[in-house]
Formats: sequence, C-alpha cells, structure tokens
Amino acid sequence: MTSLKRFALATAICAFLASAALYAQFNAGFYTLQGPGSIRQTAPSAGSAGASYEIAAYTLYPAMLAAGDGEQEVASYCNTCHSTRYITMQPPLPADTWSAEVNKMAKTYGASIPDDATEKIMHYLQSHYTPENRKK
Amino acid sequence: MTIAREVSRRSFLWTLGASGAIGLAGRANVLGAFAQEPSAPRNVPDFTGPGANPYWNSVGPLVAEPQKSPLILLTDRPVQLETPRNYFLNVFTANDAFYVRWHLETLPNSVDLKEWRLHVEGNVGKPLTLTLDNLVTKFKASSIAAVNQCSGNSRSRLQPRVPGGQWGNGAMGNALWTGAKLREILDAADLKSGSVQLQFEGLDRGKGPEGFGSNRFMKSLDLSDPVLDEVLVAYSMNGQPLPMLNGFPVRLIVPGYFGTYWVKSLSWIRVLDKPDDNFWMKTAYRIPDTPGGSTTPDDVKAGKVKTVPIAKMPVRSFLISPDGSAKIPSGLPVRLRGIAFSGYGGITEVEVSVDNGASWRTAHLGADEGKFSFRTWELSWISPRPGRHGVAVRATDGEGHTQKDEMVWNPGGYLWSRIERQEIMVGAAE
Repeated sequence: MTSLKRFALATAICAFLASAALYAQFNAGFYTLQGPGSIRQTAPSAGSAGASYEIAAYTLYPAMLAAGDGEQEVASYCNTCHSTRYITMQPPLPADTWSAEVNKMAKTYGASIPDDATEKIMHYLQSHYTPENRKK
Repeated sequence: MTIAREVSRRSFLWTLGASGAIGLAGRANVLGAFAQEPSAPRNVPDFTGPGANPYWNSVGPLVAEPQKSPLILLTDRPVQLETPRNYFLNVFTANDAFYVRWHLETLPNSVDLKEWRLHVEGNVGKPLTLTLDNLVTKFKASSIAAVNQCSGNSRSRLQPRVPGGQWGNGAMGNALWTGAKLREILDAADLKSGSVQLQFEGLDRGKGPEGFGSNRFMKSLDLSDPVLDEVLVAYSMNGQPLPMLNGFPVRLIVPGYFGTYWVKSLSWIRVLDKPDDNFWMKTAYRIPDTPGGSTTPDDVKAGKVKTVPIAKMPVRSFLISPDGSAKIPSGLPVRLRGIAFSGYGGITEVEVSVDNGASWRTAHLGADEGKFSFRTWELSWISPRPGRHGVAVRATDGEGHTQKDEMVWNPGGYLWSRIERQEIMVGAAE
C-alpha cells in the first residue's frame, strides 16, 4: 500500500469515527413518503421519561416535475441534497438564470454531476421552467 | 336590496300567512333576497411569476409537520414552511405556527440530552461542554421579545424575480425567548486575546462534500458587534421548549438581526482569531453595500456591486385584517389591524392610508413588548362608498426611518421592506 493510499484510508477512518461521534447524540435526516390529501390530526404523545427527545419523520411531498428528457437526471442528481420542490417552487426563470443555477450547484456547492448529466439537467430546466414554456 | 324585491317579499309573506302554504315559486323568490348559487372555491395557482407574487403569502399547499399546525409548504427536504397571514393578529407568534427554514437536509428528528452538549471552543482559556441542565441552572435566565425574520422574507415580490425560497410575507415570527446570555457563557470560557469573531453551528448537516456550504451551515458575528450584549442562547420559546423544527434544544437569538444568524439546534460556539471565511459568511447572505441594499441586474453583471454580510432588519409593517378575501358592506365600522417591527430601535409610529397613499392617519399602537418585538397597531375605519379601496400601511422606527414606497432589488432577494398595500372591496349595503 502506498503512503498516499494509507493516508487516504486513515482519513476515511477518521472521518467515519468523527461522524459516528457526531451522530451518537442525535438522529437526523428522516423523511417519510406521504401522498397529498387532507391534513390529519396527530395523537398527543409526550414519549418516555428518558433524555431522548424525538419527533416523527418529516414528510416528503414529491413535486410533479414536467415530463421530458432529463427528468430522470433531475430526479436523481438534484435530489441528493434537496427535493425537487426546490425547482417547482421557483417562478419561471430565464434560461441563463437556470444555467447559472446548475453551475452554482456544481461549482459552489460541489455537487458531483457528470458533464453529460449537467447538460441534460440544464436543457430540461430551460425547456420546462422559463417564462416562455412553463406550464405547471 | 331593491324596493321591488322588498315589495315582492312582503306580498309573499302576506300570501304565506293567508294560505298557510309554501308555493315553490314564492320560496325561490324569498331565498333570492339573501342567497346566491355558491361559486366554486378559487385556489391560488401552483406557482407565481414571472411577475411579482400578488398574494400575501407564498402559494404552496398547507402541510402539517411534527409539532406544527398546518403551514404553507415551500420545500419538504430540507423543511421550509411559511406562517399563514392570520397568525400575525397576535403580538406573539405561536410556536406551532412559527415559520421554518433549514438549509441542509439532514436536520434533527431527535436529540438525546444525555449525549448532547453545547461546546464552546477555539481561542478560549477554558473550553466548555455544557448540558442543557447546565445552561438552565448555571446561568441567569434572561427573556427578550424578538422578531425572527428570514433574510429572504417576501422574496417573491422582487422584479425581476430571483431564484431562492419564494417566500410571501410569512417568513417571520415574534416570540418571547428565554435563555442564558451569550456574554455570560463567553465569560465562563475565558476568551483569549486576539479573538475577533464567534462562529455558531447547529446539528444540521448536508449531503454535499466536505468544505462546501452544502455540507455544513455556520454563521459568525464580530466580537466587537454591540448586538452581542443582547444575544441569548435560548431554551424556551413563549414559555415552552422549542419545537424541533425551530431549533430544539437551544437556538441563538440575535435581536434585531435577520434570522440567518439565529442558528438552530446550536451545539458549537467557536471563538475565532481570524474572520470566518466559510461559504455562509463569505459568499451567501450578503447584500449590496448601497443605501437600502438595492442594486440592479446590470450593475451585478458589470461586477460593480460590493457586498457586506446582511445584518439588521429594516422597518416593516403589515395589514393583517381585513385580508381582502371578503367584501365589506359600505358604512360598516371596521377594525384595521396589523403589526410592525424594526431592527433599528423599535416602532414609534404606524400610519395607515385608506386612499391608496394620498393621505395618512396615525394608528393606535398596542402594548410595547420591547424594541425588538412586533408591535400591534389598530385603526377603526368606516368603510366608504362601494368600490375598490386601496389600504396602505407604513411604519417609522426608533432611529427615524420611515418605510418608503420604493422597490428593493438585489440578487439574493433580501431586505424587501416596501410599503405594503391591500385592496379592499366595499359593497353596497342596501
């Protein structure tokens, strides 16, 4: 094993241990899928007398993305860090604003999206979410 | 009601008394005096734009998340929820109705207080690891009424529209926060010389790679900032523990400042010996260094815009009721009610115009809960002649700023604070 590889392995182990230490104290990032519909009341529950304070999973409300080429790439890559409601929530935006947004995700936020998928995502957003072509 | 219809109703009643029978035609006639075929409910559209959002709130569906009343959904992962307009009739916003804004999707569902600690570390003589019980028992409890408003509140008003959370006006709330004074905690940690900033971080993490803003959310304040004298590490919100979505077990309270600094599920306070250059300070949440924080798309493209971190909230005021969704009969006494607030010394005056800004009357202010709180206001109004009437409201704060009628524009969609207007339809009363 080269020293570089050893270093990489040690770094990975350290990162794993650090994240294990971080997540020992709380649970995070749980979502549950639920269809739209009427809002139900929740039954009151104060939980146990222990020191753990927990609530139910947050609810996912999947966005209705426009059907078209690139939809799959949007659903898989964009969904890594945030739900696609981040797209449908936006007002219709000009094509150059969409390319700037996709570039921001890749460069500023470090999203690792292959080049061809980046192109497809950009083209999809520009084909369905501009003032000229947005339908829903 | 027309005279003809009144006469026909009377003759119908006479016929009813005389015959003791209800004729189908006559019944339809009397119902005509007060009933109409109901129209179908008109829902808001799924999105607004490219024009400004014309609605008071954003247009998402109502959803109920844990510990929350149905609120307006902006995004489900991470969770962003807006408070509907009617909740702002009260000076304090109920915990279950308080808006929610997280940046990173891995946000807490549970916290184990046996394990959880608030860490005070970095350039300190005595690093601290405090339990919630330590915070409650070792430090004096202080309370302050303070407004938390998202930097991007009302972003959907901007023209041209900018990407980001498309908030209406409901990304704000006021609560009575109780907790330990940050100054006392810092004193216990014994800050070393050469300290320049304090960095705050909560339990939320993102799926982005390490070193990017998509991985961790951190905000910093200058140690020389006088606001630090007011800052609390709050464990109580309106006399209750904080809802998980609003930052359980403790969150930072930065009175007068936009919500971006009010770090939720606060778990690390780092004393820095050089300015924080993480993404959320160096790149995000920055406003043009211009009067009112406004600029133009052309100046941004030309690279002419120098920016500074967003800080205090400019003065704003809102009409909450009536909300324009119901017609008001002419001649009826109506209570115009709303709220106002400012990060610059509280509210000294609220003025209301019922003629679209041509003339202004001073509203009656509600109880003073402190200069960082909402201030309720009220004005009685006799609804005038039938037709559309433009109601406008503007506030003046303790430092003498009065709301203007000017648009605000910057690429982040921050600082919207223009005079609010509401159209009220007055109908005929006879």
